[in-house]
Amino acid sequence: MSEWIAVGALAFVAVLIPVGMMVVSALLRPSVPEQGKRSTYESGEVPTGTTRIRFNIQYYMVALLFVVFDIETAFIFPWVVIYTDAIAEVGLLHALGPMLVFIGVLVAALVWAWRTGAVQWIKSEHPEKRTRIQP
Amino acid sequence: MNPAPLEAVLLPETISELTGLGQFGILGDMIAAFLAAFFVGNLMLAMTGVAGPWAKRKITAAFTDRIAVNRVGPFGLLIIVASAVQLLAKELIIPEHVDRPAYDLAPVVIASSAMLGFAVIPMGSGIQLADPEVGLVFVFAIASIASVGLVMAGYASNNKFSMLGGLRAVAQNIAYEIPLIVTGASVVIFTGTLQMSGIVEAQQQALFTVAGIGIPAWFAIVNPFAFVLFLAANIAELGRNPFDTPEAPTEIVAGYQTEYSSVYFVLIYLGEFLHIFLGAAIITTIFLGGPTGPVLPGIVWFIIKIWAIFLFTQWLRSALPRVRIDQMIEIGWKGMLVLSFANLVLTAVIVGVFVA
Repeated sequence: MSEWIAVGALAFVAVLIPVGMMVVSALLRPSVPEQGKRSTYESGEVPTGTTRIRFNIQYYMVALLFVVFDIETAFIFPWVVIYTDAIAEVGLLHALGPMLVFIGVLVAALVWAWRTGAVQWIKSEHPEKRTRIQP
Repeated sequence: MNPAPLEAVLLPETISELTGLGQFGILGDMIAAFLAAFFVGNLMLAMTGVAGPWAKRKITAAFTDRIAVNRVGPFGLLIIVASAVQLLAKELIIPEHVDRPAYDLAPVVIASSAMLGFAVIPMGSGIQLADPEVGLVFVFAIASIASVGLVMAGYASNNKFSMLGGLRAVAQNIAYEIPLIVTGASVVIFTGTLQMSGIVEAQQQALFTVAGIGIPAWFAIVNPFAFVLFLAANIAELGRNPFDTPEAPTEIVAGYQTEYSSVYFVLIYLGEFLHIFLGAAIITTIFLGGPTGPVLPGIVWFIIKIWAIFLFTQWLRSALPRVRIDQMIEIGWKGMLVLSFANLVLTAVIVGVFVA
């Protein structure tokens, strides 16, 4: 149990150090408010439109795909830990077979995603129709 | 205590024995743990301090045939102090309409999560904070928290470049995290344990002997394919060249960190360097035999190994062009993912046939 105390202690230190740096900086730094200083950087122009623009749907597609695969990796970890012991106990076929089926289903899903173009970064077919940011 | 198969002495226990804090029960344990954590945290902070303002400049200069910092102190080393003071004393400019709590929290999340990962890394010479049985999963889990910080920074900054940088960062991190973890899992097939000390222990016996020198069974030598995959996925996960699309200075200014100045910039920069070292520490532990080596003490070997990987990232930075975001995603989902699963299955089959 004392191991997790050490992990907690490092978590505390890991927050303490950045916060300490922020405090030191707050004591050292000047504050010189000026007209226009706080506007966001947009290559020197006056910022136009909102930041919350519509962005490429494919960021969403790969995120969905990630959810599937991330859960799969969580299932793979217990298997790799017991794998060599399991071979001694139930034999190679029963230790390896189910996981091969599992990964096979996974690969089938990837092939499907690949064929439907979920991982293909598509360029817009009508670049002139893309949303323009209205000033 | 865990009934651990390998009795490794951890740093908090050493401190508690040396100072006699052990007799104060749980409070003594906590103080000892805090002292140990403070030591480890500052050790990694010192590495970052040397790497960021000094070593990175010197290395890049060497690659591009320049001299770089050489005015302040011997070899320009005191630039570390000068840079620290300079950066912390900069004015903090908070842009208009930022999403306030998220904007302020993001740098802390990025820096803290990177530092917390070092809790389970065996650094040799008895320097290891904790050695839980789920060590490897813990370190992967902690290393992924940074993605949240990057999205927070990108979304909260109210800047279109930051927004794009944040989106790219998360797309990249999730694309390369699966290959990273699956390749890491393929190593566990050899060890049968997730405990970091167990993984280091499994790499100790000599694999074969060349001219009287035993070549250790480092997993980089046992399974070089997994090593290369892990190295590449790790570089992408860290967002270093050639996979630095989230920050791509020639495309989107500085990505998610465009609107950060002063201490916030320092914290993000610090977090990135801590992440490089954390990635290097994971590679060292699971592929390069951890902190073990002949003659020199463990901590020295650990530092040599993580700096070797840091040098490798800097070499890539100077040598390779950046990949585009669409190439990035396709390399991740079509190349690395397939190769990492192929590696896992092949390793399992070969080890299985070998054991059975």
